[in-house]
Amino acid sequence: MSEPVNIRHIAPGTKIALADGALAEIVSNPADGVWVFARYLSSPGDPSRVGGEEMIFAQDIVAIRE
Amino acid sequence: MATAGISGYRPGLVDLKAGQISREIFVNDEIYQEELERLFARAWLFVGHESQIPNSGDYFVSGMGEESVILCRDRTGEVHVFLNSCRHRGMKVCRYDEGSTPVFTCPYHGWSYGTDGKLVGVPYFREAYHEKLDKSRWSLVEVPKLCCYKGTVWACWDPEAPSFFEYLGDFVRYLDLTLDGWDGSEGGTEILGGIQKWRIPCNWKFPAENFCGDSYHNISHRSVDLVGIGPSGSGRRDMQERLMARRLQVSFYERGHQTGVYLFPGNRLTPPSYQHSPIVAEYFAHCEAERHRRRGAWGRLIGSPGEIFPNTALHPRQPRTIAAWHPRGTHQTEVWRWYLVDKAAPSEVKDFLRDYYIRYSGPAGMTEQDDMENWNYAHAASRGTIARRYPYSYEQGMGFEIENYESEGLPVPGTVMDITEAKSSEHNLRNLYRRWAEFMEAESWDELATWRRNGEAMPARAAELKPQAHHPGRCRVVCPSQSV
Amino acid sequence: MATARISGYRPGLVDLATGQISREIFVNDEIYREELERIFARSWLFVGHESQIPNPGDFFVSSMGEESVILCRDRAGQVHVFLNSCRHRGMKVCRYDEGNAAVLTCPYHGWSYSTDGKLAGVPYFREAYQGTLDRSAWGLVEVAQSRCYKGSVWATWDPTAPPFLEYLGDFLPYIDLTLDAWDGSDGGTEILCGIQKWRVPCNWKFPAENFSGDAYHNISHRSVDLVGIGPSGSGRRDMPELNMARKLHIAFPERGHQTTSYLLPKDAAPPSAYQHSSVVSDYFRECEEARREKRGDWGRMIALVGEIFPNTAYLARQPRTLAAWHPRGAHETEVWRWFLVDKSAPAEVKDFLRDYYIRYSGPAGMTEQDDMENWNYAHAASCGTIARRYPYSYEQGLGTEVENYEWEGFRVPGTVCDLTQAKSSEHNLRNLYRRWAEFMEADSWDELMSWRRPARAEAAE
Repeated sequence: MSEPVNIRHIAPGTKIALADGALAEIVSNPADGVWVFARYLSSPGDPSRVGGEEMIFAQDIVAIRE
Repeated sequence: MATAGISGYRPGLVDLKAGQISREIFVNDEIYQEELERLFARAWLFVGHESQIPNSGDYFVSGMGEESVILCRDRTGEVHVFLNSCRHRGMKVCRYDEGSTPVFTCPYHGWSYGTDGKLVGVPYFREAYHEKLDKSRWSLVEVPKLCCYKGTVWACWDPEAPSFFEYLGDFVRYLDLTLDGWDGSEGGTEILGGIQKWRIPCNWKFPAENFCGDSYHNISHRSVDLVGIGPSGSGRRDMQERLMARRLQVSFYERGHQTGVYLFPGNRLTPPSYQHSPIVAEYFAHCEAERHRRRGAWGRLIGSPGEIFPNTALHPRQPRTIAAWHPRGTHQTEVWRWYLVDKAAPSEVKDFLRDYYIRYSGPAGMTEQDDMENWNYAHAASRGTIARRYPYSYEQGMGFEIENYESEGLPVPGTVMDITEAKSSEHNLRNLYRRWAEFMEAESWDELATWRRNGEAMPARAAELKPQAHHPGRCRVVCPSQSV
Repeated sequence: MATARISGYRPGLVDLATGQISREIFVNDEIYREELERIFARSWLFVGHESQIPNPGDFFVSSMGEESVILCRDRAGQVHVFLNSCRHRGMKVCRYDEGNAAVLTCPYHGWSYSTDGKLAGVPYFREAYQGTLDRSAWGLVEVAQSRCYKGSVWATWDPTAPPFLEYLGDFLPYIDLTLDAWDGSDGGTEILCGIQKWRVPCNWKFPAENFSGDAYHNISHRSVDLVGIGPSGSGRRDMPELNMARKLHIAFPERGHQTTSYLLPKDAAPPSAYQHSSVVSDYFRECEEARREKRGDWGRMIALVGEIFPNTAYLARQPRTLAAWHPRGAHETEVWRWFLVDKSAPAEVKDFLRDYYIRYSGPAGMTEQDDMENWNYAHAASCGTIARRYPYSYEQGLGTEVENYEWEGFRVPGTVCDLTQAKSSEHNLRNLYRRWAEFMEADSWDELMSWRRPARAEAAE
C-alpha cells in the first residue's frame, strides 16, 4: 500500500492502478472520497473481472495513471 | 438496591451466532442502570498513574464508572483509592483536579480525613457527639482491591474479583507494549502533561468497540491521512508497519480483553519512524534495536489499539495513550485521556511527542474528531423509534479465528484473526460484547472466572511474566482476608 | 422493547365531555415516549415536496418524528424515503441538508447505498466478509408506504395504515386549497427558496393545536395588525374575507384533521388582496376569477389554517406555507416551514411573496414570534409541580357543532362550527385531542379505522 490517493475529483476516463495489480478506468465518480465506479482493463489476479464495472474502494487505489 | 435483572442478553440482544447486536444495548436506560451494577461495580478499572502522585500527600481526582474517586499517596508512601464522598452527608471531600494535601476536608460540615482515609477531624466531637462517634467506622470508603503495575493504578470495588493479574491473564504481555519503554525497559514510561477530559453525546460502548479493534473504519480518517498526519510525513501513521508486517487481531475470550498487533518477520527491524524529527528518529531507531536485543522474538510484535474490559483503551504506538470511557448516563460518555512517554527520553523527544499527540488525539485532535462525529450520530440513530428495531451487523470474519497462532516459531497468545489479507474483521468487537453479555448475566465472579474451572488459579504464561523484581507490581488489598 | 402501556387517556387526561385536558400530556416523558411509538411510528407524516428533488440523484434530508430521513429520487426517477442511518453501525449516511449524489456513503466504515436504498458498496467484501454478507438483507430501511400528492410527499412507517387518500378522507379538498394554484389548477404550486428550521422550547402539541384552529388568539397578534402586517396594508391580513364571509371551524372526527376556512357568499366577487403591489393584486384577481370558473361553488371556499393529524400544519393563503412540528423530546419542538408559490406566477409575484412570507412567518417573522412567546411560557407553566395539577379549558362552543352545514347552496363536508357570530370555538382543538387519545389507546390500525366498519362507531364523547 502506498500513500493515500485523493480520489474525490478524478475524472471519468482516468486510469487507476489497484492494490492487487489490476488496472481500471474511471466510469463515474460520486465525489465522496470513498468510492469510484470503474471498469477493469486488466486483472492479473482474476482475469474474469476484465471488462466488468465495479465499485472500487479508495483504500484499494494505489496510483493514478494518466 | 437491586434492579430487576434483565435476562436473555443472549441471544436476544447479543446474537453472536448471526453476528448481530440490538441497538437497544446502546440506548436503553434500564440496561444502563444494570451496567453500573454488573460491570462498573465488579470489574477492574483504570484510575491513574503513579507518576501523577509522586510524593506523600499528592492526590489526583479520577473516576470509576460514574463515581468520583481520589487517587492519593499517604504519609507512608502507600497508594490509596477512595470514594470522593464524605461519609457524613455525601459532599465531595476533594473538589479539585489534583494537588497535595495533608487532609481532605469536607466543605459542608467540616469532617476531615487523613490521606490514609481515616476520619481525623470532627467538629464539636466533644460538645455535639459527646465523644460517642466511633471515628474508626467512618473512614472514607476505600476500594477493596488495588493494583499498581508499571506505574498504572487499577482498582476494583468487588472483593470477590480475581487479582488484577488473574483478571488480565495472558493479556498482560500486550498491556506491556503500552507501558514499557520503547527500548523494552520494563515500565519505562511516565505520564506527559495534563489529562484531557471531554464529553461526547454517545453511549460509552461506541468508543469502547472502536478501540478494541475496529479495523474497518480507516476510511473515516482518510482526510487526515491525505494531509499526512503520520509523524513521518505523508500517508497513514502506521504505513510502514502495514507494508511489511502481519496484521493480527488478538482476543482473550474468557477475559474480554483484546488488541490489534503488527507482527514483523523474524529478520526485520521495525521500520524507521518519526522522520519529521532527526532527534526523535534517532532515539526511536536506537530504542528499536535495544528492544529487539532485550526481547528476542517477542520484539517482533508492536501494538495497535486495544481494550482492557470494560472501558480502558490502549494505544501503544502513535500516539501512546491510555483512555477511560466514563459512563455519564446512557447517552453520554466522558473521555479521560492520558499520554505516555519514555521516562528516559531526551526533552526534545518529549516535546515533539507532545505536539504530535495533541494534533492527533483529544477533542481538538484531527483524527479523534472523525471518530466522535461518527459516534455522535450513530448514537442518535440508535435511539430512533424505528431505527432501534434494526440490529447492527457484527458478522465480519466469523469462523476464521485461529487458536495457537504461531509465526516463525513465535507463539502468539490469544485467539487470533489474521487480517493481513482480509483487511478487517469484527472478531475483537464480538469478543467485547460476548464478555459484556456474560457480565450482565452473571450473578457472581464465580460464574465469570471460567478459567478457574480448569484448575488454574492463574494462567501459566501470566505467572511467568510477573513483573521483575526491580519493578515490583505491587498489588495490595485492603481486606487482608482476600488473597492477591 | 415494549414500554409499560399507559391506559386511561380518556376520560382522565382528555375529558371531552367537560372540555378539560390535563397539562400532563404536554410534559410527561412517558407519554412522550408512547407518542413516538403510537403516533409518529403509525401515522402519515409530511416529508417534503417533489420540487425539492426534481432530478435523479437529488436528495433532501427531512425528519419523521425524531428520526432523520432521506427523501430522494433514484436513477429510474422513483421517489424514496429512507431512514438516515447506516445498517452497519447507525451513522448518518447523509450529513447534508440537500444535494445530488450517485451514492449515499456512510463515513464511518464506508458502506455505500445506491439511491434506491440497496447496499452497493461494502469495503473488503471479498477479503473481510469472504463474500458471505447477504447484501440484499442490509439495504437502507425504507418507509412502509409513501405517496406523492400534488407535489407534496408523505410517508408512514406502518404497513397496516390506510393509504394516504383514505387517511385524508373527505379532508382532501381542503388540503387542495393549499396545494392547488390560486387559479384553481391542480397542484400548480412549488416550493419557494429554502426551508426555515428552528427550535421552540415547548411540546409539539402547542403549535399543533394553534394551527388546528385557534380562532381565539388573535389578540396575540394585535400589534402586527396595528402596524399593518397584511399585504393590503392596514388591519388584519384577512380583513376583507372577515367582512363578508362565514368563518367556519371544520373538523373530521374519524380522521383527526381540521381546518378554519372562510365561505364566501354565492355571488360575491372575491375580496381584493395584495393591494400593496399592483402586479400581485392583478395576478391575484385574475386567478380568483379563473378559480371561480374552474371550481364553481368550491371556488367560494378560502382556507385559513389547518392541521393534518398529527403534526402537519398549513396556512393556505397569506402566507402560503406548510409546517411540520417535529418532536424533539417532551419539551422541545423543531419547526420546519416550507413556503409555496404558484409555479407559473410572474417573477415579481414570487419576489413580493418571498419578502412578505419572511416578514410574517418563521423565527424572524413578526407574527410567528407572537405565537412562540406564548408557547414557550405555556409549556414552562405546564411543567410546574403545582401548575400541572390544573387542567386546561377546552370547552368553548361545546355542543354547537353541526353536521350537514349548508350556506347559500353549498354543503360543507365535515362537522362544522360557525364562528361568524360566535367569533371563536375550540371545536377543532377538541377534535385534535380526541384523535390523539384514540391513537394513544389503540393497539392497531383496525381500531383506528372506524369508517371501515359497516355499523359506524359512536363519535367519541
